[in-house]
Amino acid sequence: MSRKRSITIFILLLIGVIIVLFANILVGSANITFAEVMDTFVGKRNTSSDILLKIRIPRALAALLLGGALSLSGYLLQTFFHNPIAGPFVLGVSSGAKLIVAITMIYSVGVIGALSSAVLIISAFIGSLISLGFVLLISRKVKQMSMLVVCGVMISYICSAVTDFLVTFADDSDIVNLHGWSVGTFSGTSMDNVRVIFVFVIIGLIGSFLISKPIGAYMLGESYAKNMGVDIKLLRVMLIILSGLLSAAVTAFAGPVSFVGIAVPHIIRVLFRTSKPLIMIPACFLGGSIFCMICDMIARTVFAPTELSISTVTAVFGAPVVIYIMVSRRRQEI
Amino acid sequence: MINETLISSENLSVGYGKKIIINNVGFEIRQGEILTLIGPNGAGKSTLLKTLAGYLEPLGGVIMIDGKNASEITDKEMAKQLSVLLTERIRPELMTCREVVETGRYPYTGSFGILSDKDRNAVNDAIEAVSVTEIADMYFNEISDGQRQRVMLARAICQEPQILILDEPTSYLDIHHKIAFFEILKKLVKGKNIAAILSMHEVDLAERIADSVLCIKDGKVSLSGSPSDVFTAKNIMELYDIPEELYYKYFG
Repeated sequence: MSRKRSITIFILLLIGVIIVLFANILVGSANITFAEVMDTFVGKRNTSSDILLKIRIPRALAALLLGGALSLSGYLLQTFFHNPIAGPFVLGVSSGAKLIVAITMIYSVGVIGALSSAVLIISAFIGSLISLGFVLLISRKVKQMSMLVVCGVMISYICSAVTDFLVTFADDSDIVNLHGWSVGTFSGTSMDNVRVIFVFVIIGLIGSFLISKPIGAYMLGESYAKNMGVDIKLLRVMLIILSGLLSAAVTAFAGPVSFVGIAVPHIIRVLFRTSKPLIMIPACFLGGSIFCMICDMIARTVFAPTELSISTVTAVFGAPVVIYIMVSRRRQEI
Repeated sequence: MINETLISSENLSVGYGKKIIINNVGFEIRQGEILTLIGPNGAGKSTLLKTLAGYLEPLGGVIMIDGKNASEITDKEMAKQLSVLLTERIRPELMTCREVVETGRYPYTGSFGILSDKDRNAVNDAIEAVSVTEIADMYFNEISDGQRQRVMLARAICQEPQILILDEPTSYLDIHHKIAFFEILKKLVKGKNIAAILSMHEVDLAERIADSVLCIKDGKVSLSGSPSDVFTAKNIMELYDIPEELYYKYFG
């Protein structure tokens, strides 16, 4: 019965990704025609090719991949905590990643010169896991989902404070770059970065598909999942590693991006009216791609030439969704 | 045909960590039989059930499941042998009743959990057996408590276990749903020739549905046997510490 509906929405999401991707490539401060874009795609060089190949296409692809990664990371964390308002940003995972990346950037620039993409992602991954470790410790003591999020936000503030402190007292030309990045932006992504992002995000996506079956059982709670033969410890470790990896890829290249991880999975659940992992995983990914590409387009075009940070835009659209979830859940619990 | 013993224990001690809550539990349940656990709150009925279901390690003694020592059975094999209905109330979001029942097929499906025709039939049979066909496509969070317990029973059944473990399955149901639940349970246990062990507080109903009874009090099995032996006024008064005049005032 709902199979038809799911397939239709999937097709619409795919078409959406393609349309928004093209819009992102076409729209910008330099006027580029559709014909020039098509020429560049088939390999015919023209005056706009440089802008397209070096700036717009990598940036659009980064928003596509990282937006999907962020949304999927949020979905995995929500599964882990049985909590619809868990996400990498509100739990402080993004800020933890940001802190370790900042430390790596500041203290290694002198030693090994410019940092490779992989080192950035690994630093972000370590930071994510450290933050998640703290959240896990707290989650043993607090059972209420809203309290857990409050604690996550506190962790996030502590990490941001330390990052700001380090940035303020580090004297290096790279700091300017660091500052733009530490509030979140997709600008400055190169095609080489996109390749690295692609590898990490695909690993995260495939990994998520591989644990879709135990995730389905885990939705009935740990006790029932164990009774069905699920290896609970392994599943929990996988959820943490995959969500950490996906949000690390985002933080390493775009900095912290707010609320996508909560808002998109919620919208997807409402659209599909299901929470089947085999649908949620790809749908969250596609939805996150569309959401982030639209937000990035708004960030760079609405007040052009001034560019907004991506989090400013995602927060405007994402935060109300989060408030809505909290209010509607409260009503349900009474 | 001789009915085989499906689950039994000998000299079993259960508890949390090192702290033993009940000592020296011995029982056996054969195919098609229901064993009920009764006893005051906090006596350790749930602890015993959790140990039998594999959530807690036994602190002594052995549990035998279908002729094998339970400690030698892997979680995956166990999932095909034994399923549970627990007291914890679940509220899975946007999951239909059918999807909840389908999770019972977990031990039988492939890496992505896609259902075969055989799985689908098992799900349909389970849904029919507990008579929730009309609400099968509603969301689990939208139905009543009585319906939810039946859906959870269907889930447990379609896991095709030989042993069912139910922890106070009817405590918060009204009398109509209590009776409906026990009717279905009894039919399933006899029809599929499986064993069930359940804890309950409804002494009057326990007497009607049990094939054997285990009374638990003060860290031990205080009494066990057939319902007609166990359910005497004197035994119930002792088990629940009810003064004689109150017992007759309310039960007499």
